Amino acid sequence: MNNDNIMLKISGLKVSIDDREILSGVNLEVRPGEVHAIMGPNGSGKSTLSAVLAGREEFKVTEGEILFEGEDLLSLSPEERSWAGVFLGFQYPIEIPGVTNINFIKTAINEHRKRKGLPALSAADFLKLMRERMAYVDMDSSFTSRGVNVGFSGGEKKRNEIFQMAMLEPKLAILDETDSGLDVDALRVVAGGINRLKTPENATIVITHYQRLLDYIVPDFIHVLYKGRIIKSAGRELAREIENRGYDWLINEQ
Amino acid sequence: MKQNYIYTPAFTSEFRCKVPLKETRQLFIVNGKVQGGQTPFSLRLEEGEIMKEMLQIISVRHKSYKEHLSTQQDFHFGKGSVGRIIQCSHTFSPDRFRTTEKVTITVDKEASAEFYIMQNEHNNAEHNTTYEINVAAGAFLKMVFLSLHGGVIRNEILLNLNERHAQCDLAGLYLTDSKQLMDYKISLNHLVPECTSGQLFKGILDDEGVAHFYGRIKVAPDAQKTEAFQANHNLLISDKAKAYTQPQLEIYADDVKCSHGATIGRLNDDELFYMRTRGIPEAEARLLQQKAFAHEVLEKISNTELRERMLSLVERRLRGEFSHCSTCIRNCC
Repeated sequence: MNNDNIMLKISGLKVSIDDREILSGVNLEVRPGEVHAIMGPNGSGKSTLSAVLAGREEFKVTEGEILFEGEDLLSLSPEERSWAGVFLGFQYPIEIPGVTNINFIKTAINEHRKRKGLPALSAADFLKLMRERMAYVDMDSSFTSRGVNVGFSGGEKKRNEIFQMAMLEPKLAILDETDSGLDVDALRVVAGGINRLKTPENATIVITHYQRLLDYIVPDFIHVLYKGRIIKSAGRELAREIENRGYDWLINEQ
Repeated sequence: MKQNYIYTPAFTSEFRCKVPLKETRQLFIVNGKVQGGQTPFSLRLEEGEIMKEMLQIISVRHKSYKEHLSTQQDFHFGKGSVGRIIQCSHTFSPDRFRTTEKVTITVDKEASAEFYIMQNEHNNAEHNTTYEINVAAGAFLKMVFLSLHGGVIRNEILLNLNERHAQCDLAGLYLTDSKQLMDYKISLNHLVPECTSGQLFKGILDDEGVAHFYGRIKVAPDAQKTEAFQANHNLLISDKAKAYTQPQLEIYADDVKCSHGATIGRLNDDELFYMRTRGIPEAEARLLQQKAFAHEVLEKISNTELRERMLSLVERRLRGEFSHCSTCIRNCC
């Protein structure tokens, strides 16, 4: 294994909320070009892991560390993590009434550019980029002038997440239950967008309950999280086995 | 138009606005005296008269003028007339001072009047204004208040809808920081049937700023088919900011549609976190939320240029910058 090329390294991560331990020692390594799936039953800590990676402050890291490109991720604010190239696709995207989608993503893009020493995009360049990336997820142009996620259906919200990801071009995308609440057509569109954004330089962590999404986004590794620990890591064939046998056999192996 | 002032921008020794809005005429009231005209100021629109340009009335104090000022402005919109007024209060005096203003507005049958009121002074300024307003049959009055900056700003509004189908639409945005005080007192009387009124007042309160909102809607015993709506929403940015809100409905008729709503809240943490995960820094995310909150009031300004100007003043104010018109170096405040 080439340790120099590790993008994300989670070591011995323990996380609590209100003195209740949710993650009890998680280890994970992600390299550029890889797609990892984290699966597990409800309450296993999947969403906590994604929230901690994105910088949610309610969660307390009691032990362990997270290195992103060798840098201590936990010492960065949520916006600094975004600038560094970390993106979280929310399970339940937040509605922001009064802030239009276009204004929201334009502000985000230009803040990213500022950190790279680039000038703000011209209106024309921005519109061009936005139209191109909206097409990745079949988003209608009427979305741009609406409040962020306000009145969006479940599928529209998830498409908006992937649209934002397409605009920000993160190095590491953590997609939390991106498949929840999607019908088959919407799932295909969303997964198509994610696949289109995949490059040998970036990496994706897909957090999901079901293997359904993994029919469209093929992972290189599957990890099963249970009671705050990864109890099994294997190749993509594990998804099919979980689909057929459930999680119990893995839990019983413990 | 009968007017008791002369607009004389050529005299540079006099005060004038360096960045007037398009299609507006300016009138200046310096230290309470109408520049080039009679004091107190009064404007009368004749029957059927239509004011093409907006009239911007700028009240300003000289640098060294700190006397208590007591002024009056009277507006009369004749039958079927149409007019738009911008009232701005500014000062060049940094001293502690007090201004008491009385404004009377009479809107005759089927006339249409719009007032945009911008109050932008400083922490030493106390500004008390009383509005006495009467609206006649089928007439329409819109008022949008922007209480941007002031040590104490008190607006007392007494408004009577006197005849059938009179309509009014009142809106206001007030911003405080440090130890500023904003006080709105509104008494709106539906005296006859079939009148409509709307009120939307919003405040963003930072530091130890305090806002009082007292709004009473009174529907007289015969005023059936009244439609009266009132909303007051306050956003507390700091732990020490305070908002007191007292919506009151007194209804003596039985066939009416009335509502009132009042809220006091703070910035939404989930929205903030969401924006930050997209790389929007916390300060910018908070500003976006505040602008979104203010938007609903600013939207009431139908003139695009004026709305843009007000929006940029509000944004500067929220950023904690000095609120003056961009491209102007006069620094009225």
